[in-house]
Amino acid sequence: MSLILQDIGRRVGRKWILRHLQLEVANGECLALLGPSGCGKSTTLRLIAGLDLADEGSILIDGQDVSKVAAVDRRIGMVFQSYALFPHLTVAANLCLGLRVRGISAAEQQHRVASVLALMQLEEFADRRPAQLSGGQRQRVALARALLRDPLVYLLDEPMSNLDAQLREDLRPELRRLILNGNQPVVYVTHDQHEAMAMADRIAVLRDGQLEQIGTPQELYLKPSTIFVASFIGRPQINLLPAQSGIVTAIRPEDVHLSEEGISCRIIDIEWLGTSQLCLLDSPKGKLRMLCNSQIKIPENVKVKWSSEKEHHFNSESGHRIN
Amino acid sequence: MIQLLLLPAILLVGLVFGVPLIRYAWLSLHADSVVTGLVAIPNNGANWLRLINDQRFWQDAIQTSRFAVVSVGLELLIALAIALLLDQRWRGRGVVRAATLLPWALPTTVMALGWRWIFNTPYGPIEQLAKLFGLHTLNILSNPDITWLATVVGDVWKTTPFIALILLAGLQTIPEDLYEAFRLEGGKPRAALFRITLPLLQPYVLLGLLFRLAQAFGVFDLIQVMTGGGPASSTESLALYSYINAMRFLDFGYSATIMIGSFILLLLACILVWAIIQQSRILKGALK
Repeated sequence: MSLILQDIGRRVGRKWILRHLQLEVANGECLALLGPSGCGKSTTLRLIAGLDLADEGSILIDGQDVSKVAAVDRRIGMVFQSYALFPHLTVAANLCLGLRVRGISAAEQQHRVASVLALMQLEEFADRRPAQLSGGQRQRVALARALLRDPLVYLLDEPMSNLDAQLREDLRPELRRLILNGNQPVVYVTHDQHEAMAMADRIAVLRDGQLEQIGTPQELYLKPSTIFVASFIGRPQINLLPAQSGIVTAIRPEDVHLSEEGISCRIIDIEWLGTSQLCLLDSPKGKLRMLCNSQIKIPENVKVKWSSEKEHHFNSESGHRIN
Repeated sequence: MIQLLLLPAILLVGLVFGVPLIRYAWLSLHADSVVTGLVAIPNNGANWLRLINDQRFWQDAIQTSRFAVVSVGLELLIALAIALLLDQRWRGRGVVRAATLLPWALPTTVMALGWRWIFNTPYGPIEQLAKLFGLHTLNILSNPDITWLATVVGDVWKTTPFIALILLAGLQTIPEDLYEAFRLEGGKPRAALFRITLPLLQPYVLLGLLFRLAQAFGVFDLIQVMTGGGPASSTESLALYSYINAMRFLDFGYSATIMIGSFILLLLACILVWAIIQQSRILKGALK
């Protein structure tokens, strides 16, 4: 294990914004921190980077406790949400600056910057300033800077959130090739579950500063451990049926299908999504979402059912999964 | 047609700045004094010939430039320190920030009177302090070699807050992210000051510099109240010289010539400052 967070806590004033966080990220593994805004994911990243210090617990990088080590000495490669490029410097100078302040010789600086520019296909932009670059190009410069740091850990803070959807999809393979295929642990903060599922080996879902569930994307999708995770992971959102004797039953829209032996429902609305269509149903058990093939012609009154194996059950009080 | 909306602003600026400027330029080509019975009579540029050969005008130009450059330079340095301090988070910052602005809010004549009293010989506190340390009388306001420094002190005290405010606004436009990225890159705080803060602050420094240079070059009230231009005209500014010509000698033609003459000098100085700073490589980037 290469990056370990042991019982990490962070306090602002008297309020704990992060508490009892326990995470382990292996070398070469990408862990996504996923959660709604304010859940503590960026705080966690800042603690790992050393930009803030944890009020509790310890952080280990390659077995060494770095909890008290200054940010400067932690050897972290970080990509900021804003990219944080220096606006007064050219791309080449942006990349050089870190090497220079770390006292690397001029010849070595030139060599390393040139090779990372080539790797990122940024050579023609070397003399431009950040303001003269597109969002995607800026992001590549930010990545290049993180690569040049030759870090022990990569931290990516919503690295794609400033890009449009198309560009995001285009950049995913590039990001995987450059950083996620390396030997360092990668922590990837995002609020976009699609991105988390696409990029990460494991996902940690955070809520109100606490770890809600950690596991592979499949585990989170197939066996969500709480109602929160169940409704956070998977789109369209999971159906939560009204609690009966303290148990909430949940069923994913894609597991609901048309069947003559099912319960009778009335169609309220249909969203056509291309390969599929999302039907909003009024059923005796409340409103239901059903995802089905877009080829099917849906009548106004339908009968639907689902396999009981596909149901998820949660304690309605605690929100925890019941098996 | 949309340009019509600019008309009120153009009219206002024209009335406040354009008309007096044109009127003065016109007046500078005329003899208009007690001698002419306060009637403007064209004198074929005699005023300008007189200006070029006027030792006192050039002496005042040098004195005024010295005053402007030294006080604005000091103001920039002190204001930068204050702005950096006020940009940090600490307890009581709000109170200090408000207090910093007080000198600027004070009317110049009032504070100039205050400084005149502070530098007064033999009763002012400075002289009292000097006495305490066994120094002999300093005669600050009556020694032609040092009196100008007293006016610089007054000006620095009064207008440093203004520059500090501009620089503080500039500092607050620099995203915190940049400093954090720099820290992760291995940069130390002092390096951040020189590699990030100062380069990104340059446009604001330039703004403060141009504003204040123009203002300091036209200094009048501070000098008038503190020293009256003395001793031996050693603190006389161009504006004061122009004022004396108009109000004491009632020579409006020549007074206007001095005004226009110093306006041209100031314009040249500003263009020079602008050009020098434009040459600076770092700034070119920051302005983009």
